[in-house]
Amino acid sequence: MEEALIRVKDLCKIYNPGENEVRALDHINLEIDKGEFVAIIGQSGSGKSTFMNMLGCLDVPTSGEYFLNGTDVSTMEDNELSEVRNREIGFIFQGFNLISNLTAIENVELPLVYRGVDRKTRHKLAVESLTMVGLEKRMDHKPNEMSGGQQQRVAIARALAAQPPVILADEPTGNLDSASSKEILEILKSMHKQGKTVILITHDNGIAAQARRVVRIIDGKIESDFINENYGKEEYVKNQLDA
Amino acid sequence: MSNLYEYIKMAVHNIMANKGRSFLTMLGIIIGIASVIAIVSIGEGTKNQMNSEIDDIGGGQIAISMSSDAQTAEEYITADDVEAVRELDGIEGVNVSDSYDGETTTGKGNFTLMVTGEGPDAKLLNNATMKHGVYFGENEVQEGKNVCVLSDSDAKRLFGTDDVVGMSLDVNCYGLTKSLRICGVTTQKENGTFVSYTYEGMPVTVNVPYTTMNEFTGTSDYFFSMSIQADKSLDSQSIADKVVNLLEKRHQCSGEDYFQVQSFQDIMSSMNQMLDMVTAFISFVAGISLLVGGIGVMNIMLVSVTERTREIGIRKSLGAKTSSIMLQFLAEAAILTVIGGLIGIVLGVIGGYAICSIISSSMGMIITPGISLKTIMAATLFSCAVGVFFGIYPAKKAAKLSPIEALRRN
Repeated sequence: MEEALIRVKDLCKIYNPGENEVRALDHINLEIDKGEFVAIIGQSGSGKSTFMNMLGCLDVPTSGEYFLNGTDVSTMEDNELSEVRNREIGFIFQGFNLISNLTAIENVELPLVYRGVDRKTRHKLAVESLTMVGLEKRMDHKPNEMSGGQQQRVAIARALAAQPPVILADEPTGNLDSASSKEILEILKSMHKQGKTVILITHDNGIAAQARRVVRIIDGKIESDFINENYGKEEYVKNQLDA
Repeated sequence: MSNLYEYIKMAVHNIMANKGRSFLTMLGIIIGIASVIAIVSIGEGTKNQMNSEIDDIGGGQIAISMSSDAQTAEEYITADDVEAVRELDGIEGVNVSDSYDGETTTGKGNFTLMVTGEGPDAKLLNNATMKHGVYFGENEVQEGKNVCVLSDSDAKRLFGTDDVVGMSLDVNCYGLTKSLRICGVTTQKENGTFVSYTYEGMPVTVNVPYTTMNEFTGTSDYFFSMSIQADKSLDSQSIADKVVNLLEKRHQCSGEDYFQVQSFQDIMSSMNQMLDMVTAFISFVAGISLLVGGIGVMNIMLVSVTERTREIGIRKSLGAKTSSIMLQFLAEAAILTVIGGLIGIVLGVIGGYAICSIISSSMGMIITPGISLKTIMAATLFSCAVGVFFGIYPAKKAAKLSPIEALRRN
């Protein structure tokens, strides 16, 4: 059997260990295969943000294992985690998180700069991914010269340019109006269609309902994990997994 | 580290994005470096000017004097000694010079005189240029002729004119009055910057052959000191040693230290030492301002790290390593100080020239700032070092931020 892209086993994150300890994540077990479109849903305080930090290798668990693309990343050092984030994960944040004094294309090139990709290749990849999100005419604009929707598309282009196996979107539509939200969700769906693994973290049921698979987190535990039957009929479901 | 170019680019980008603040940050460094360069170059310039002036007057001069331990006349320098020293290699001339008080009366009134008996090389040793007539030489000294030499300004004081060659001067000294023929008038040295003196009431100097002087005093050829003009290109110290050896041999008093040496080289080096100390002290003070400038850079970088916490978080989430962030901030601090240093060097050089020209025009002397490559290299290196040193702490602080902490802050 092929190894899952993401395999989380007994993952715990405990803040303030001792008397006032907070169990943000409490023995989470989850597998996500290559090519899935998963929504992780939970209210604020449910631990979904902590879980997203773990999945994104921004933070290390207190205990448990996390295999990403076959390697155990739960015990890695800072610099190794940076390397993993750079190669394996494309982030899309709620607040876009673009660097304000860089142009769109410079922002998109940034992960490739840290990977050490040469300038020509970098430029080519950045242009490709900006074109993919329909911003080929705005490449030299700075973030503050663009609308929220456009900024988020730049962020998506940035996540795509590095060609990571996992796209991790944390409330990507949280700061956007409904029209832009729809656009962004369409882009995420099309990325899924192209074979990317997309993990969408949200508190919004309506948005979660757009995903193929929905994982609900309550109080640091997985409460439910089901396949969304209403997901686009033409979608070919490769790997179904039960909780 | 292959990405160094990228980090430098990022740093330049950030500096350009905050031009005003970057300039203010650099200001401390600019002022520090500029003042160090200006002070050092003015100091060097002054030293060079002093050296060349002193060298013109007394370069290669060595003075030999009797120590007070020498008691008997047998140890005093004799005219034969003078002749023997004159024969040594590397010696261009030897003079003896003993002065006695005297007086004279001319149409202009009574004057106090300083009558100085001198040897055959007096003209050379006094570095004299003749305005009228000639200086007395070997013949006059040997024959004890009644001649004398005045300076043009002293001639004017005595007679109201400097065209006095051939006139006679009645000199009273040691109770004896002699009529001396004025054989030459020297040009009083232009007042140099550092070596000059003439004032009213100063005795009039009358130079006479020492043999003539002996007739006044009644003593014969003993001298307490002699001055030697050595070849300027040779080491005065070794020539002085040779002279002392010769004198000690002639007087059979080796190792008694009766003959004491002072050369212009000594005077010059002690003066230079003093000036170097002054320059070093002022540079030290200027260096403190450079230190303060460096701390200013550190402060701004620290503020910048706090301000850009989110940017650091974003960069880290995209895969920037600790070293990448560190290098980016370090490059920023270093570039700020290096640019500041370069501007400071330019301003320092301009400032050095400006101050020197003010001094030159207001005090009537010419000082060219001595700007050496060494000074500039040292200033550049120092400003780089300041940048890196004061950049390390903020850069470390930036690099250590955890990405989630950094992203959470807004």
